[in-house]
Amino acid sequence: MIAIVALQRTMTNNRARNRALARHVLLPTIFLTVALLGGVRVALETGALVFVPPPLVTLLLAVMLLALFARGRAVVVGAWLSADNAPLANVSHALTLAALFFASAQSFNSVLPDAGLLRWMLSFFFLWTLWQNQFSAFDARRLLRSLVALFGTAFVVKHVLLASLDSAAGGWLRRLAGLALEGVAPGAQAFAPATGYVSFFTLALYVCGLLLLPPVPVEDAESTKIETPEARALLDESRNRVEEVESRALIDD
Amino acid sequence: MRTARLIPALGIAWTLGYAAFVLWLYATAPQSFKDVTTRASVAAGTYEVDRARFDAGHELFLREQYAAARDEWSRADPAKRDARTQFYVAYSFYREGWGRVYSDDALFRQGLDAINQAIALSPDAPLEVDDPELKIHSAAELKAELQKGTERTVEDFNPLKVFRERK
Repeated sequence: MIAIVALQRTMTNNRARNRALARHVLLPTIFLTVALLGGVRVALETGALVFVPPPLVTLLLAVMLLALFARGRAVVVGAWLSADNAPLANVSHALTLAALFFASAQSFNSVLPDAGLLRWMLSFFFLWTLWQNQFSAFDARRLLRSLVALFGTAFVVKHVLLASLDSAAGGWLRRLAGLALEGVAPGAQAFAPATGYVSFFTLALYVCGLLLLPPVPVEDAESTKIETPEARALLDESRNRVEEVESRALIDD
Repeated sequence: MRTARLIPALGIAWTLGYAAFVLWLYATAPQSFKDVTTRASVAAGTYEVDRARFDAGHELFLREQYAAARDEWSRADPAKRDARTQFYVAYSFYREGWGRVYSDDALFRQGLDAINQAIALSPDAPLEVDDPELKIHSAAELKAELQKGTERTVEDFNPLKVFRERK
């Protein structure tokens, strides 16, 4: 029995440590990396790196998105920043949430065209969608799916359609857009295709971060209910042995 | 219990450090990964001029290959943080732009930018370069010479001007 308790305690400690590391170190790292890469562009002619800070509209979109996270209970702000938490944990959580905010702003920055009419059209669509979602019934999972669709669409528009329009060999798509958007510039896109890859990686990382983000930061002591399959097998084996020994002892008696 | 306190503290330190790095990248806007390392070494105070490239540039300068010399010096001091190198860059603009009848204003203006940069990089003491191949040794004197070349004065119409000497 002592061995079982010791094993359980070790597992609990490991689980608690890993969860704490994910919450206090991994999540801020992911979100800050997204904040860094979301504004990175690669100039077409020189190949130089261009750092685009988040424009005002993306900050506004990020505020709306965070409000949506709070409404959809994807982030329970009251649990992340609570008087019950240790002061250090509260500071760390506040930094994580700040990193989430800037990561969201830079994710929008990454998928919005850098200039032109389409930039304003897409910004308006984002604002409209996020504003409407504020009044819809949402759960965290549906919210995440909706976000993936939203960012995916904007990514395709910017890095597939607009990039194709802008390339020298734009071909039929360029001519078609010229007809459809007669007299309207599609936007000043002078970035290398590498920008699209950076943006894709940024969005993938952002979604990974959101998947890892727990709605409520689970406290270490509470995290004892879930067990890994290997640990569970070990525990079952130990229990069986104990029962076997006990039954033998009963028979002997 | 100790781990419970250590991990948030570690997280805070790491997050603040990483955030500072991201802000620094956006503030300095390096154009390439090499530029990142150069600017990082400037920030850390370990930046040094590539001596071999500087000497190669100096040799070209003495052979009056001014554009090539500047190219070498731009590689020797990519961050433009060395006052002495910037002094030489300004001097090369002066020598290239100097003319017996008139001076090239565009080159002189670039020279002024470089000498202003050199002066800004040595705020504690006046910048002096001991090089027997040069006729101007102080940054202030070179700046005055470059400024004089860009200004329009009555003296510009003096025919005796053609006998003046390049420094």
